[in-house]
Amino acid sequence: MLKIPCPFCGGRNESEFIFGGPVGANRPDPNAVSDAEWVEYLTIVPNPLGPVQEKWWHARGCGEWLTIWRDTRTHDIVEGPDGA
Amino acid sequence: MSYDVQIKRHGLHALFDLKGAAADVWDWAGGTLPAQPERPNSRTVKGELDLFYIGRNHWILRAPIEQEEALAAALKPVDCRPDISIVLVSDTLTFFTVIGPQAADVMAVASPLDLHPRQFAEDAVTYTEIFGLKALVQCCGGGFEFAVEQSFGNLVVDYLARTTA
Repeated sequence: MLKIPCPFCGGRNESEFIFGGPVGANRPDPNAVSDAEWVEYLTIVPNPLGPVQEKWWHARGCGEWLTIWRDTRTHDIVEGPDGA
Repeated sequence: MSYDVQIKRHGLHALFDLKGAAADVWDWAGGTLPAQPERPNSRTVKGELDLFYIGRNHWILRAPIEQEEALAAALKPVDCRPDISIVLVSDTLTFFTVIGPQAADVMAVASPLDLHPRQFAEDAVTYTEIFGLKALVQCCGGGFEFAVEQSFGNLVVDYLARTTA
């Protein structure tokens, strides 16, 4: 169980949050990249062994969206959102 | 195990949901509202009005149901300026009080939030979970008060009965 730092509420139980997926790359200009790069942007999600940046929604709390860095090896939150 | 608590489900309150930049909300309704709460997840009181600061640029105003009409006339939710939102939500929440020497024990079963006075001050109010449902929780004299969506009211009555049986 994670204790996730919310910028508004402080540390809260993971069960108050809904996982919003990993933070992906910025959307490239489809006319400026190759088909392979465009397909990679659309279909490949970050899945590193180590820190990954994730979005979480404090759905059963203040409603804030936040991003954290979570280490997939240890499940530790290695970097919280700004202001938390 | 039974607990030494008194549980009560309350009737309707007048509730207004306010959103927008604080300066704009108080510019529109400052004469009616209690003082602006300074800390996130805290409340201020003015007479019978409670103001809950429960999210970024988000407040809930609570008053006795008898004051709903007068407050609606003062806050003018239908005609308010476009950069803020004021919505009458009186019929969306049902309130419960859990009062007594073992109120904290019952709340510990219901919610993962640390409600010890060191963490949850007398003027604290926040959204969290009660029996897995989104709920607005605060302290009240001798215990705790929480609100869930009206449609979950009977379910929570049943959960509380099973918890304290």
